[in-house]
Amino acid sequence: MKNPPAFFWLKLAFRELLNNRRFSLFFIFNLALGLAGFIALDSFKESLDNHLGQNSKAILGADIALTSYLPFEDKTLDALEAKFPQNTLSTRKTTLFTMVASEDQSRLVQITGIEKEFPFYGKMVLKKNGVVESENVEQSLALSGEAWVYPELLFMLGLKLGGSVKIGEKNFTIADTVLDDPSSSFSSFGLAPRVYLAYSQMQETALLSKKSRVSYQRLYRLPDGTDLSGLVVKLQNQINSFDGSDSKIRILTHKRAGNNLGRLLGYLNDYLGLVAMIAVFLAGIGAAYLFRNYLVHRFREISILMSLGATRQQTYRMVLWQLGLLGTGAALIAIFISLVILPLLPLLLKQFLPNGFETQLSLGSLLFALVLGGVGSLVFCLPVLSRIRTVQPLQLFHKNVGQQDVTPALWRQALSYLPLLILSWSLSVWQSHSLIVGSAFVGMLLASILFLGSIAWLVLFLAGKLSQTSGSTMKRLAFRNLQRNRAGAISCFLALALGTLLINLIPQIYQGLQEEVSRPDDFRIPSLFLFDIQPEQMEPLLKTLSVEKVNLNYLSPMVRARLEKVNGKSFDFNSEEVSLTREEERQQNFRRHNLNLSYRTQLSDSEQIVEGRLLATNFDLDSGKPAEISLEVRYAERMGFKLGDLLTFNVQEVLVEAIVINLRRVQWNSFQPNFFILFQPGVLEDAPGTFVGSIGGLDASRRMNVQNRIVSDYPNVSVIDVTRMVGRVLKISDQMVLALRLMAYLSILAGLVVVFSIARHEVEGRLWELNLLKVLGARFSDIQKMIQIEFAVLGIFAGLFGVAVSLIMSYGISWWFFENLWKWTWQTSLGSIIGVTALSVGVAWLATQRTLRSSPLTLLRSS
Amino acid sequence: MILEIKGLDKSFPQTDHDKIEVLKNLNLQVEVGETVAVVGQSGSGKSTLLSLLAGLDRQSSGSLRLRDQEISAMSEVKLTQFRAENIGIIFQQFYLMPHLTALENVSLPLEMFGHKDSLQRAREALLQVGLEEREKHFPHQLSGGESQRVAIARAIVIRPAILLADEPTGNLDNATGVQVSNLLFDLVQTTGMTLLLVTHNTELALRCSRQLTLQSGTFQ
Repeated sequence: MKNPPAFFWLKLAFRELLNNRRFSLFFIFNLALGLAGFIALDSFKESLDNHLGQNSKAILGADIALTSYLPFEDKTLDALEAKFPQNTLSTRKTTLFTMVASEDQSRLVQITGIEKEFPFYGKMVLKKNGVVESENVEQSLALSGEAWVYPELLFMLGLKLGGSVKIGEKNFTIADTVLDDPSSSFSSFGLAPRVYLAYSQMQETALLSKKSRVSYQRLYRLPDGTDLSGLVVKLQNQINSFDGSDSKIRILTHKRAGNNLGRLLGYLNDYLGLVAMIAVFLAGIGAAYLFRNYLVHRFREISILMSLGATRQQTYRMVLWQLGLLGTGAALIAIFISLVILPLLPLLLKQFLPNGFETQLSLGSLLFALVLGGVGSLVFCLPVLSRIRTVQPLQLFHKNVGQQDVTPALWRQALSYLPLLILSWSLSVWQSHSLIVGSAFVGMLLASILFLGSIAWLVLFLAGKLSQTSGSTMKRLAFRNLQRNRAGAISCFLALALGTLLINLIPQIYQGLQEEVSRPDDFRIPSLFLFDIQPEQMEPLLKTLSVEKVNLNYLSPMVRARLEKVNGKSFDFNSEEVSLTREEERQQNFRRHNLNLSYRTQLSDSEQIVEGRLLATNFDLDSGKPAEISLEVRYAERMGFKLGDLLTFNVQEVLVEAIVINLRRVQWNSFQPNFFILFQPGVLEDAPGTFVGSIGGLDASRRMNVQNRIVSDYPNVSVIDVTRMVGRVLKISDQMVLALRLMAYLSILAGLVVVFSIARHEVEGRLWELNLLKVLGARFSDIQKMIQIEFAVLGIFAGLFGVAVSLIMSYGISWWFFENLWKWTWQTSLGSIIGVTALSVGVAWLATQRTLRSSPLTLLRSS
Repeated sequence: MILEIKGLDKSFPQTDHDKIEVLKNLNLQVEVGETVAVVGQSGSGKSTLLSLLAGLDRQSSGSLRLRDQEISAMSEVKLTQFRAENIGIIFQQFYLMPHLTALENVSLPLEMFGHKDSLQRAREALLQVGLEEREKHFPHQLSGGESQRVAIARAIVIRPAILLADEPTGNLDNATGVQVSNLLFDLVQTTGMTLLLVTHNTELALRCSRQLTLQSGTFQ
C-alpha cells in the first residue's frame, strides 16, 4: 500500500471547508476579531522597541555616560577615562529640578546645563535658529548667558521670546524655544518643562550646592567599532575599586537610556495586552463552539473515510489541517484589522511617545500573528477535537451517524484543556513581563470562567424547571430551549458575562482613584508641596508663611544616602543586568537610586505599624548598638528586607548601621511627605539634609501667590502645585484608561460576534422545529418573542453576574494595589446590565431574522 | 471459499451484569462469486453482521475468515488496509462526500492509497454504472438512484473480493430500486465478485443465489 499523494489530506480538508463556507467565514472572522487587538499591540510594542533601539544614542546624546550626584573629582575622572579608547570625545551635562519665576508666575522646571559638543547624536531643533550646532551653544548659551526653554514654559510663565526669567540667583533671557529634543523624557509628567543653560552658567545660579539634588554627567562618543560591553565591564571594575562616593558612580549606556524612556509605556502596554487577551479568549470560546458543531456534523464524513480505508490518525490529520487553515485565515484577517487599530494607538498615547515615533507592522509581528492564529485555533478547539477518538464508522450501519454526540471520558476532556491553560498562562506572563501578574490574571480569568459557567448551568437548570410550570407557550418553549441547547447557551452566557465584567472593571477601579485624588474640599490633600528647604531657611520661611497666613505642615527632614551593605554583605547592583520581569526591573531601579532617609519621633496619621514595635525615641551613641529604623512594608517586601536585618547606609561619606525594628504601612494617597525608611531620632540630625513640607487649603489664586512669594524669597526651594499635578496625572490617566477601554470594547465586540454566531447557528439548527411551529399556527412574532426571551434571560443573568464578579475583582484589586480606594458606581453597573441585555436581544434578533422568515415549505421539501 | 464464519458471537454490554446477545453461534461459508441475501426483521442482527464482516466492529467470540485471513487477529491498521483492498461497502443512505464531485467520490478510496491511475479507474467505474457524463456533478445535483450508482461505483473501483450491501435500494422508489439492483447484479456477474446483501426486499433477496434468514441472532 502506498501513501496518498502529497497534500492529499490538506486538499480534502480545504475542499470540506470550502463546502462549509458559512462556518468557515464565521470561525475566521470570530477568531480574527479576538486576535486583532493582540497583534496590533505586539506591533506597537515592537515598533516602540525598534524606535528606542535605533534612536537610543540620540536619546542619551552619547554612546555612554557616567553619572554622579556629586561633582567628579579630577583623579577619579582620569582613572575612568584611561579605560576609554583613544579618540573618545567627551562633554559635560548637569541636571537639576528647581523653580523659575517671571514677574508674577513661578514654575518647577528641569534645568539642564550643556556644553558646545552636546549632543553627540541626534539633533535638537530650536524654533528660531533651527538645528542646534556647537556655535549656537557657545554663542547663545555660554557667551550671552541666554536660555532655551520648552514652549509650554512660556505659556506657563506668561512670557514671550526675549523675556526674562529668574533661575536661582541669576536672570536669563529666553532666546529660543526647543521644538525637538531627542532626549525628552516623559518622567516628569510634563510638570517640569526643560530649560537649557550653558554648563558654565550653572554655577552663577548658585543652585549647585552639596545639598541640592544635582545630577552630574559626563557623556562620551566612542570611536566606531568600540566594544561597549567590554568597556562597561572595565569601567565598573574601576568604579568598584574606588572608595566613598566615587564607588557609586553609575554607568548609563545608550541602550539603557532607550529602555528607561520606554518604561512607563511598557507598563501600560503590558496591561493593554492583558485586556486584549480577554478578546482572544472570548473569540476562542466562540470559535470552539462553532467548531464543535461543525465537527459533530462531520462525523459522518469521517466515518465514511474510515470505512473507505482511512486510519483514525489520517482523519485527525485532516481536521488538524482544517484548523490550521482556519487559524491562518483568521490571522490574515486579524492582521488586516490590526492595521486599522494600529494608527489609533499613537493618537491615544501621544503624551507617552518619543518624537518621531511611527508604527510599523513588522515581520516579527506577522509571524507571531500566523503562529498565534494556527496554534490558538488548535488549542481552543482541542477539547472538541478529542471527540474524533470516539467516532465509530460502524455507526454508518445504524443510519444516524452525525447526529450522535459522543462524549469522551471526563479525564480525557480535562486533559484536552491543559494546552489551552498552558498557552494562556505563557501568553499572560510574556505579555505582562511578570510571573505574579500573569499568573494572577490567568487565575482570575479561570476562576471567573468557572464561576460564571456554574452560574450559567444553574440558570439553565432553573429555566428547565420553569419550562414545566404554567405560562405562555412561547415562554415555556424558550426556557425549554435554553435547557436543551446547553453548549450554545453557556457559550453565549460566558461571552456576555466576560464582556460585562471587562467594561465594568476598568471604570470601577478608576472611579475610586479618581474621586480620591480630585476631591476639591478635602484638606487632607495638600495644595503645595515644598522641598529642598535648607535648615537655615526654616525659621525665616515659617515667618514668611505666617505673614501669608498659611501653615507649613508635616515638616520632615530629608537626608540623602546610599545603601552600602545588608547584613554585612555588599549591596551591589550591576547596571547592565538584564531584568526579565517587571518585578526584577522595579527592584533594580530601587537598588540603583539614592535613598531619602528621614527621622521622626512618632508616626504620622497616615502610618500604621504592621510588624514590630515603635522605634526608641532616642539613640544612644555610646551603647555600640546600631540605630533603629522603620521600613515601609511593601518597600521591604520588594527589597527582600525583614525585621532584624542590619542595613549599612552611606550618609554623605559617613557609614551608619541600622537595624530594622518595624515594618509600617503608609497610606500614600494622603499625599503627605512619607518615607520608605525612617530612622529613630538622634542619628541623622547632624547629617547634611533638607526639609520637606506641605501647605493645605489654598484656592488657585492663593496657591500661585504663595508659590511666587516662596520662589521669590527662597529661589532654591522647589514647590509643586499638588492640585495641578493631580489634574495633570488624572488627565494622563484618562488617556491610559481610554486606551484600556478601547481594548475592552474590542473584547466586547468579539463577545458580541460570538453571540451573533451562536444565535444564528442555534436557530438554523432548529429550523425544522421552528417551521413546524409555524405550520401548527405560531405567528412570526410569537417565534421571534421566543428567541428574544431566550437571549433576554441570558443577557440579564450574564450582565448581573458579570457586574457582580467585576465588583468583587475591582474591590480586590483596589484593596491590593490602591489601599482600598473603592467606590461603587451603581449607575455604571445598572447601565451595563441593561446594555448587555439589550445587546444580547438585539444581536440575536439581527442574527436570526432571515432564518426565521424562511417559508415552512422547506419542511415539506426536506422530507 | 472466500468467507468463512464459525461460531460467531456478538453481544453488547447493557449494565454491569447484563448483556444483549445480538448474534449467537453464527456459522456461514460463502464461495467466490456467490450472491447471498440476508433477510430478517428489524433488530435481528443484520446490521451487526454487516459491520463485523466489514471489519468495522469486532466479534465477541468465534472466527471470521475472509480470503483465508482471520480478521479478528488483525490490528486496527492492518484491518483498515485489508478492508480498503478487499471489501466494497454500499450503504442504504449512499454516504457520498457532499463536497466532492461524483468522479472524486469514486476515486477517493484509490487516491487515499496513492494509486496513480485513480482517476482513470474511477472514470471506468462511472462508465460501468452509466454515469460517465455526470462525473463533474456534486451529490446534491444527483437523484437518489444516481447517488446510489455513484456509491456502487465507489465500492467496485477498488476491485474488491467481496461486496457488502446494506439495503442498497432501501432509500429508493420501486422503479429506481429495480434499476439499481439490476446494475448491481450485472456488475457482480460480469466481474465475478462475491455479494452479500442485507435487505427487507423479498424480490431483491430472491435474485441472490442463496437466501439466509437471520432471526434472534441466528440463521434459520
